Amino acid sequence: MRIFQNLNVDFMGKRKLFYMVSAVLLVSGVVSITFKGLQFGLDFKGGTEVVVRLPRTASIPELRGIMQQADMGSIEIKSFGSSTDFIIRTEQKGVGSTISDDIKTALRENFNQEIEILQENRVEAKIGSEIRRDAVIAIFFALIGILVFIGFRFKLVFAVGTVAALFHDVILTLGLISMFTDVIPSLNLEFDQAMIAAFLTLIGYSVNDTVVVFDRVRENLKLFKTTPLEPLINKSINTTMSRTILTSITTLLVMTALMVFGGEPTRGFAFAMSIGVFTGSYSSIFVASALTLDWTTSRKMKITF
Amino acid sequence: MIVAFLVLSVYLLYPTYRDSVHQSNLSNLSGEDSTAYFDEHEESIRNARAGRLKLGLDLQGGMYVTLEVDIVELLAKLAKNEDENLRTIIAEVRQEALTSDEPVLDLFSSKFEERNMRMSRYYGDIRDENADVMEKLRDESEKAVDRALEIIRNRIDQYGVSEVSIARSGNRRIILELPGVSDEREVRGLIQETAQLEFKLLADENSILKALGNIDRVLLGKELEEDEDTTTVDDPALAEGEVPDDELRSDEETLADADAEADELAEDAADVTASDEDALDAESIADEAMTEEEQLEEWKKENPFRALFSQADEQTLIASADQRERVNNILRRSDVRDAIPDDVSFAWGAKPYVTAEGMDYYEFFILKRKPELTGEVITNARAQTDQAGFGGAVVTMQMDAEGSREWARVTGANVNKRIAIVLDNAVFSAPNVRQKIIGGNSQIEGMANMEEARLLEIVLKAGALPAPVDIIEERTVGPSLGEDSINKGLTSFLIGLAIVIIFMVVYYQYGGVSADMALIFNVVFILAVLAGFHGTLTLPGIAGILLTVGMAVDANVLINERIREEFGAGKTIRAAIDAGYSRAFPAIIDANLTTLLTTIILYQFGSGPVQGFALTLMIGIICSLFTAIVMTRVILEITLDKSPSIVKFG
Repeated sequence: MRIFQNLNVDFMGKRKLFYMVSAVLLVSGVVSITFKGLQFGLDFKGGTEVVVRLPRTASIPELRGIMQQADMGSIEIKSFGSSTDFIIRTEQKGVGSTISDDIKTALRENFNQEIEILQENRVEAKIGSEIRRDAVIAIFFALIGILVFIGFRFKLVFAVGTVAALFHDVILTLGLISMFTDVIPSLNLEFDQAMIAAFLTLIGYSVNDTVVVFDRVRENLKLFKTTPLEPLINKSINTTMSRTILTSITTLLVMTALMVFGGEPTRGFAFAMSIGVFTGSYSSIFVASALTLDWTTSRKMKITF
Repeated sequence: MIVAFLVLSVYLLYPTYRDSVHQSNLSNLSGEDSTAYFDEHEESIRNARAGRLKLGLDLQGGMYVTLEVDIVELLAKLAKNEDENLRTIIAEVRQEALTSDEPVLDLFSSKFEERNMRMSRYYGDIRDENADVMEKLRDESEKAVDRALEIIRNRIDQYGVSEVSIARSGNRRIILELPGVSDEREVRGLIQETAQLEFKLLADENSILKALGNIDRVLLGKELEEDEDTTTVDDPALAEGEVPDDELRSDEETLADADAEADELAEDAADVTASDEDALDAESIADEAMTEEEQLEEWKKENPFRALFSQADEQTLIASADQRERVNNILRRSDVRDAIPDDVSFAWGAKPYVTAEGMDYYEFFILKRKPELTGEVITNARAQTDQAGFGGAVVTMQMDAEGSREWARVTGANVNKRIAIVLDNAVFSAPNVRQKIIGGNSQIEGMANMEEARLLEIVLKAGALPAPVDIIEERTVGPSLGEDSINKGLTSFLIGLAIVIIFMVVYYQYGGVSADMALIFNVVFILAVLAGFHGTLTLPGIAGILLTVGMAVDANVLINERIREEFGAGKTIRAAIDAGYSRAFPAIIDANLTTLLTTIILYQFGSGPVQGFALTLMIGIICSLFTAIVMTRVILEITLDKSPSIVKFG
């Protein structure tokens, strides 16, 4: 079986069109992030959360009522993957975390039996801000590291193209996560540590993909020294296309398996990663390669390896 | 080499398999049967446990706690004198520390600078410059973290949770990982309770014998005997125990430590039967007809409680780590508790003695219930080398005026008796009192090394200066969620793997088969490496392995696509394979190195679960380079030699 055998598409010729597509997607992503925002999880906000399994199915309004009766103040209630499992969360911290005890007691009284506690977390705001800081530092260092590595193994132009593609992927994925938040029921797209991991992984994946295309460009530059850069990049993309599609498919397959069967804690991660697979492959062609091409032609640079 | 790797992996994963077999056997049995099974396979179970692939707290359930030593509180406590100024400064620092990233001590010193005040008014020596005081405070806060760590370690040890991890993190944090614990309230209590340091005299011989005798009698279902003398006579073997013959040096105001003696005892403890036979001497005179073994059995039958100890006389009781739990179980029984005299209490030695065979032995103390003194009277304690003596490690201890008076009375009345230093019901040292100590300056000798002396210093200070800790992060995963996560993680993993395997075979035919074999070996290698380095498998870790599966085939996709290209260009299959591997190589290396780079950064800055993910991904990338490039090639070449017709790339 073969797909994309002897593909010959003029990808670079259409790059202006796809710049527009990217721009529209990026702008709508940024708009969504600005106005709808992202939902931050407990890791970032600090507070107390209790994940309970109730003896029978219940609705969020019902639980909210119980919590209001118990005078719990501002409470956030979310489904945890099934109609009996819920996350109950408050930003209050409470000395000695008596808050989680209060939540448990209120539920116990209302359901007239012992409530199974699946998970219980309490994080001080201080820790939250540290996690946030570490995440920013981690992503920053990852980008710098990649810039240096690609600059060293290829050429600085390629590195700039790659990092631009990474920014593109990260912002686009953030935007899509913001848009999809609270749209699909039981798909929890809260920003927590697992999400940070997903972003760093999708950065890794996107670079991986870009490197494969650039590797072919590097090889072809050595083989066909007289061919202009544009057809050469096109040729490289065309010959690596079947690999790009195949790897995307296998990665998407496992991420889908994780999303469907992996349960609540890894669902958001798998979702972000799946978007990352698309944007990563797309950006290798229409951001990394295209920008590298535009940069070199506008400066009339000649790349040789 | 491939075979060697495989053998190594199987070897590393075997304990994990054994452990799961034992666990399922154990859960199928109940009550008596399971205890019997445990006894029978004890060693095998233990070995399997030690070598198995550890599951993270999110998979097996448990508690993760981050503690922070409250430096502000410590500063308030350390002050020599307190006034309005200091109180204001402390209140301000407390407020600012909530939002500032700056270390508390730096905030504190800048407050003094602002006001142009000398810190020596409150801390250290009056002539000290601010910088000197700061150094001392830094040292104190450092020690406070050590102290908190030691206090908590001690309590957790007593609480009896297995496979606990207690680690310092940064300069004022402690991270606790308690697998299988889900009672947050109890753990919170353990952590935040103020440390209790007490000086307790060892109970006198008669009380000890009475307590032991009574417990034995309850266990045998006999009536208790009220008369103490009878009890003593009842156990002639125990009555003639050795009297400790410490080498007492004539230092002034000195307590001789019994630790040295206890070390000897630990050696004795190694040969269990020998000491038990000693204890039998008296009885063997009474009944020479019995063989030694029969006598030992007889004695054990008559004294079931004492039989649990490797050495049991009225001076010292020593039990191996395994027996410790049994002893504790007996002591928890209510009928046993009723039989114990009111004036005694029990405590274990805090640290085990390790014998040459690597076995842990714990000393068991029977103490007077009422403490002679409590730790608040201690004003200072310091581990140092003994100037007057032979330069061994000693700990000096000072007490306040009231404490000193009481101490003089206690030591005066108990010369040549042992007094135990008990922190949260664990005995850290039980030195022999050499003479009456007036003035409150005492010296404790006989420490094996400086480390042991430092530990005792920490313990002594715990009474005087508690290390206040706050729980700043607390995560508990209930056992049912853990089980849920394992099942779901495994399901999604197997399904994902199966889909990829089928996909590859359909698409690349034999090229896919070799890639699939490499993929399966890759997964085995990842798990083996994880088990070999005592890594922990977490739910994000499973996600990491799954992602590796998706991405590891990338290398083979690159190679196979290349082989197809070269084959299409008219090369022979062998030449196409050669060219495919060598041409795809730079792309694979560059791509994997960048991914590795991001995972290393992720590991460095991530915490807990994220690190688990980064770790498996990292191992996965390295393993996949080997399996995807080296292994598939070997597989292809072998098949090419044996049956070239099946090698097809679709």
